[in-house]
Amino acid sequence: MSADPAPRAENRLVEFADKLGGGPVNRTAEPAMAQLHLVTFLLEREEFGIAIDQVCEVIGVNEVTRVPHAPAHVRGVINLRGRVLAVFDLRARMGLPSGSVTPKSRIIVVEVQERMLGCLVDAVIQVLKVPAAAAAAAPREALSPTTDFITGVVRLNSRLIVLLDLEKAVLTRD
Amino acid sequence: MTNGDNAFSELIQDYIVECLPLAEQAADGFLQLEARWGAGDLTDDRLETLKALLHTVKGNSAMMGLPAMQQVAHSLEDLCSLAGIKPEFRTRQVADLAAQGSSLLCELIRAAAANRGHGDLAIGFTTQVTKLVAIPETTTGAAAASDQRQGERRGGTAPAAADNVVRVDFRRLDAMLEILGEGLVEGAAVRESYQRLARRVGGATELAELDRTITALQKTLRRLEAALMNVRLLPLRTVVGRFPRLVRDLARSERKSARLVITGVDTTLDKAILDQLGQPLVHLLSNAIVHGVETPEERERLGKPAEATLELNATPIANRVLIRVSDDGRGLDEKKILAKAAAMGIGLRTAGPEQLQSLIFFPGLTTAEQVSSLAGRGIGLDVVATSIHALGGTIAVENRPGYGVTFVLSLPLTVAVMRSLIIEVDRERYVLPLDHVAETVRTDTEPLHRMNQHDVAVWRGEVIHVADAGRLLGLHGHPSPRRFCIVLSSGTRQRGILVDRLIGHQDIVVKSLDPSLGRPGVISGTTILGDGRVACILDPLRILEHKIPA
Repeated sequence: MSADPAPRAENRLVEFADKLGGGPVNRTAEPAMAQLHLVTFLLEREEFGIAIDQVCEVIGVNEVTRVPHAPAHVRGVINLRGRVLAVFDLRARMGLPSGSVTPKSRIIVVEVQERMLGCLVDAVIQVLKVPAAAAAAAPREALSPTTDFITGVVRLNSRLIVLLDLEKAVLTRD
Repeated sequence: MTNGDNAFSELIQDYIVECLPLAEQAADGFLQLEARWGAGDLTDDRLETLKALLHTVKGNSAMMGLPAMQQVAHSLEDLCSLAGIKPEFRTRQVADLAAQGSSLLCELIRAAAANRGHGDLAIGFTTQVTKLVAIPETTTGAAAASDQRQGERRGGTAPAAADNVVRVDFRRLDAMLEILGEGLVEGAAVRESYQRLARRVGGATELAELDRTITALQKTLRRLEAALMNVRLLPLRTVVGRFPRLVRDLARSERKSARLVITGVDTTLDKAILDQLGQPLVHLLSNAIVHGVETPEERERLGKPAEATLELNATPIANRVLIRVSDDGRGLDEKKILAKAAAMGIGLRTAGPEQLQSLIFFPGLTTAEQVSSLAGRGIGLDVVATSIHALGGTIAVENRPGYGVTFVLSLPLTVAVMRSLIIEVDRERYVLPLDHVAETVRTDTEPLHRMNQHDVAVWRGEVIHVADAGRLLGLHGHPSPRRFCIVLSSGTRQRGILVDRLIGHQDIVVKSLDPSLGRPGVISGTTILGDGRVACILDPLRILEHKIPA
């Protein structure tokens, strides 16, 4: 009686491990097709891209309430259907001078670490897929310690899209 | 055996010492009832006492993580309630079952040190009680009650005492409260739209009707809020029950002697507040023992009783509960605290009790306080203050050098909805909790004075400092005319702030600050106003405490 259940449990574990092991096999079959699915936006004159799966929605900029004594890169707070979200000024995050809100300005609502946040950008350009192979590391000279949330660049014809790790960009304290 | 095990077995010993006599008393009591009820005397005067004993055992068992004892005690409590409400249950059999249960409880408690199992015996007993308590549903045939009970059993909890009791997951109450909060805010929004409409149209009889309907709706929502709040209330006992032992043990480990006297344990508070209250209270009590209370020898030299007395008292006052935590130790060393503050560059013009008040809760000063007056194991009072503020409460200190310290906590009864005043400063709107608004004064009737380059005003015969709200809030540029002075008050502290306009009173639902905003000084949270805009909630205590140059 004691000998019987043990092997069965073991079998189940092996099955489970097989199932888990199935994952990487599929993934290795795919790399040729691997694509980056990006939302790109404009800050000053540079185009940036973030992974679309981090983006919840893109909204126009209505009333942003200033929060006194908040960090410089936080523009304020907004009401998104009854939820209060903090809005980051991505220009400030990138070390660009703070700009004014124009009709083209958008707030990209993202979810990082189960928190909804807004990111104020100058304009949203498009949603696009690029082959992962098009992404390259950013030239080290163009980086600084304060921009370690830049993960790479994508060259697309004449365009250059800077890839951002949004989580790092908004959660790093300055 | 590791130290942790030692500590735990010590706790278990304490638990046994405390609970075994109670369980034995309960067993004796049920045996007496068995005899009495068997003889046809159906009086029930002992039931409440027994229930109280069992309640204590249940609480202590829960605290020690002993589910078997907790459940048995709970079932016994249920039996008491049942017999209390329904005389037909005052039978020899029921008393016998209860007596058996109590004996089982005694055994479980005795065995607590050796073995933390025994769950099956406990389940056997609780199942018996469940069956017994479930009888009414078949005999009375009350369908509703039956549904209720089945619901409870599905939930896996022991049956409730009376037919009319429902167990509800507290999170559901939270969800209800949140919805209600939105309802209150929407009610305010409807009122606001109505006012705009009335200004434009004016005079129509339908408008008066609408006005009445909105007023009635708001009143109804208010009543619903009060009713829901009432459901969420629990006695303070649930939190402070373990404190006396904690105080005794901690004092012993510090080679001191202290006892805790608790009064007002039946004072009720919202569970959401109670859940957050244990930690700060433990902080205050530990601080008192570690830093306030002297060694027995020193106390005797000072002519104090060797055993220190800590007091924890709770009193309901209007819509708030005051909790006072005091000790009869040496008090705070004001000189050292002030010296440390000066060393940290916090300039003080005068050194009075109000300054001390603000300093000991000052975030940066925590370490200073530890190093100066204390043995270096201090727990930051700013942490305590922050958690109390987060509950919408306030904390103040009364220092009696040489004779002890009293911390006075004032806590709201409600959590989600805050009565507040909406103000405008340089076209920005802010929310000010009404709890600390003493008065609003027009600046054209009460002129300001200058004193040592600061604005001051005379308020109720006292000279108080007046700060410009725009500067408090980091607004630069050309300020609009400040037409009103709002006098904030907490304990002995007062301060005026100058604002442009008073927009009106409103019930608001507090939304917490996103962590990315850091801890922006005088802001405690945000809310959504009737027009959909977000407004920041000002923290009156921070405004009162901060020595912001304004």
